[in-house]
Amino acid sequence: MSAIIDRPRFGCPLGGALGMIRALPRTVPIVHASTGCAYNIYVGMNSGAGYLGGGYCGATSTPSSNVVEKEIVFGGEERLREQIATTLEVMDGDLYVVLSGCMVEMIGDDAQSVTDNFKNAPNPVIYVSTPGFKGNSAYGYDVVLEALAKEYVSPRKRKKADKVNVFGLIPGGDVFYKGNLREIKRLLNLIGLEANTLIGEGETLADVKNSGDAALNVVLSDVYAPLAAAAYENIHNIPSLRTPLPIGYLQTERFLRLIGGHLGIEKEIIDKALKSEQNVYFDYFERISDSYNDIDFQRYGLVVADANYAPAITEFIADELGWLPHLTVVTDELTERQQELLNKRFNNYASGVKTHIRYDSNTASVRRHLSGSWERNCNHRYYDSFSPAVVFGSVFERELAEELQAPLLTVSFPITNRVVFNRGYAGTSGGLAFAEDTFGLLVAGR
Amino acid sequence: MIIENAAPAREERLKAGIAFCGTCAQLQNRLGQKDNGCLYAVNRSFSQAHGCQFTLSLGILNTLRNAVVIMHGPVGCGFCSTANIGTNKNFKKLRDPSAGGIIWLSTNLDESDVIEGGEKKLRAAVLYADREFRPEAIVVASSCVPALIGDDVDSILENLERETAAELVPVNCEGFKTKLMATAYDAVYNGVLKKLTKYRERNVYLTESELSGKLWEYERERTVNVFNVGSMSRADELEIKRLLSALELKVNFLPCFSRPDDFRAALDAALNISVCGTHDDYYLKYIHKEFNIPYVIDTMPIGKKATARWLLKIAEHFGQVERARLLIQKEEAELEQALESYREILKGKRVYVSGGEVRIFVTAEVLTDLGMEIAGFKGHHIDEFVRPVMEGLPDIDDIYINIASQHPFEQVNIVKRLNPDLLVIHTGSGNITAKHGLPVLPLFGPGYNYMGYSGVFEIARRLRRIITNNQFNRNMQKYRPAPYRSEWYAKEPSAYIKDTGTK
Repeated sequence: MSAIIDRPRFGCPLGGALGMIRALPRTVPIVHASTGCAYNIYVGMNSGAGYLGGGYCGATSTPSSNVVEKEIVFGGEERLREQIATTLEVMDGDLYVVLSGCMVEMIGDDAQSVTDNFKNAPNPVIYVSTPGFKGNSAYGYDVVLEALAKEYVSPRKRKKADKVNVFGLIPGGDVFYKGNLREIKRLLNLIGLEANTLIGEGETLADVKNSGDAALNVVLSDVYAPLAAAAYENIHNIPSLRTPLPIGYLQTERFLRLIGGHLGIEKEIIDKALKSEQNVYFDYFERISDSYNDIDFQRYGLVVADANYAPAITEFIADELGWLPHLTVVTDELTERQQELLNKRFNNYASGVKTHIRYDSNTASVRRHLSGSWERNCNHRYYDSFSPAVVFGSVFERELAEELQAPLLTVSFPITNRVVFNRGYAGTSGGLAFAEDTFGLLVAGR
Repeated sequence: MIIENAAPAREERLKAGIAFCGTCAQLQNRLGQKDNGCLYAVNRSFSQAHGCQFTLSLGILNTLRNAVVIMHGPVGCGFCSTANIGTNKNFKKLRDPSAGGIIWLSTNLDESDVIEGGEKKLRAAVLYADREFRPEAIVVASSCVPALIGDDVDSILENLERETAAELVPVNCEGFKTKLMATAYDAVYNGVLKKLTKYRERNVYLTESELSGKLWEYERERTVNVFNVGSMSRADELEIKRLLSALELKVNFLPCFSRPDDFRAALDAALNISVCGTHDDYYLKYIHKEFNIPYVIDTMPIGKKATARWLLKIAEHFGQVERARLLIQKEEAELEQALESYREILKGKRVYVSGGEVRIFVTAEVLTDLGMEIAGFKGHHIDEFVRPVMEGLPDIDDIYINIASQHPFEQVNIVKRLNPDLLVIHTGSGNITAKHGLPVLPLFGPGYNYMGYSGVFEIARRLRRIITNNQFNRNMQKYRPAPYRSEWYAKEPSAYIKDTGTK
């Protein structure tokens, strides 16, 4: 059973689903739910995801059946049929996805059969069940991708040995998903792979449709997208390789060696790619080494982020910035098994440092975990304080950061204090951006 | 007077409607018929997303200082609050520099709660909120799921009252109950009435003199409550305060950005004043009956005409009409001078105005006063409160009006036909509106001044700025297509309105 949450950092399945559809070009959602659902999600996602906007067909353009009491009593299937038919008339899309909310699921509308009536429509209409009570936005993202794999992706017997699909970043939930995917694609290209990130820059629905001939699915997450990965495996016979989201050079090296090793890419090719990345990367890092050492830019770190970012950032600040991560709070709702899986990601740092790991979705808990793991000041004359520090989290951490007199870099949803376009933190380019933003905070007052 | 368990839907209580296409004269004709010409029964066969009474309730609840809001529902309900994290804190600080940010909890109802009921989690959330944050009030906003599974939130809270330091306020605002999101105002006030609207004990000292009692009485007789709206800015409030202070009135602002206890303090007042008929009638009528405080619900103090009308109504109550007339005269003369240089550039520009039913008409008065022409209207819903403001506008009979809660698909069709020079719009459809390629002034904004005399000047000033460079939206129009089929633009804008009522 799920627990109550103090200021959740994610939405419901419908939210995750709408975020995914927002990311798919020329795809029109048809929401079968109460009036406010889609709008509520848009408002939260627009601001929380660094001003993502409604895109092509989001915000108040989202077709929605807006069911009210009458449909709740008499059933909403007729209303849905009408809404799908009119949406096909009014809205210009290449793919239409019917999504269901809590109410219509509770009253037992058979949205699947209503959708099936539109099998002969000029463009495909598919249905995905996304009631809010069934989980959170990570599930919603997953279940849409699963449905695409099942109903939209063309089956291909022959696989391209050098082609991989990449997923596992939740659009909107990962505020930097688009910049991250661009970088992952670039890195995989460096070792001779064709990378299809499905929802990346310049990619279209055709890329989703043609994702059935990849040799491997690279899932950039220890926990997200299990259903989608399974659907690709079972239906399209494409195995998955799970890897953490890599941030910075060291994690990128591990990432490329893992993928390359798995696909049997020659070591020389990978070495060559890494060598070139290394040169570019550390050339920039070298810039800050003057001030890092002249001024002492080492900090304690407090990381509050989701299951993708928390391990990656903690390792990055420990092993690349040379900082001391003290506490990492992972904010997703995770099973014990998933937690154990993630725990392993915090081991074997090159620096040898260790962080306190907590799994907690409640915002007020962060302060409690900090005061529980760092000795309090009981008016000691020689108090060893949690300072100087930098907080990596969401805007929910702003007040705590102010209290700690530590700068805050917002990296995890919700991010309402930054506008995010194509910035990414993944890979080597992302590592540079991360270091740039972080050190930028330290010189902001200069 | 008995307080209902939940506020009724406005389509029932006010026979309010959300769908209409026609001229202002046709609309007025319809409103003149029995039950507003059955506009409440009109629906669409194609509809788009807009807010529900839950999301709009949060528009008020999230502003309350020293309160925690519990979203009783699945984890997504109240997700929209994310947009208020920083802004509301800053707006609260304008009222109280020590104010904290907004805090909300989700009861995160899942599949098993749908079967077993949400009581256990609601109790846990209330106790957590009370222990962790020690707020003055804990507001429970109930969404669709607990309403459908039959959680008796009022009783659950009643039983918890002895265990909490905070006042527990139920707000029953499930979205599916109404197609009129404005029902939210009633839903919030319904909760406020249940728990926060009580007489406050006045501290009377043993040695209190007759004079101090009289002074208190004197002050009470000159205190007014102005019922603000979430779309108002602090600058709007200060302008209203300035004008009412000129009539020697002391002003409280409720409900937005107030503390829970302010609702008690507000019962020591001589008059309740609404700034927008759409918002407050449910509450003010109740307070009138139960606590004998008269109210003014008339127009919205935006633009010279409406501001004067609004001020005079208030002045009338206090026997200050002459004084108000002088004030208005002086204010208008000064404003006239200030506007002079703006009229030239704004003159003759055709403008399409969309948003709340009252606000669009009072704003239209500002625009026409500046020499602009109204190309068309869109009102988010329609009910009786529009009458006094529509009456105030001459020559609107033939102007096209669309009643639509958002629904940008109708807007794109209509705007294309009307071909205005600029748009004044309600928040929420910005990305589609941008694709008209026209300059856009938001109809309201909690960071800007629109009300009173200074508001007219601010609108003029901003209009000039906005029409001076429209390159951003032009690029959007050029490079980013709207999602509507070309066939749609050839159809009548009313094509998807199912109007079974009288014409």
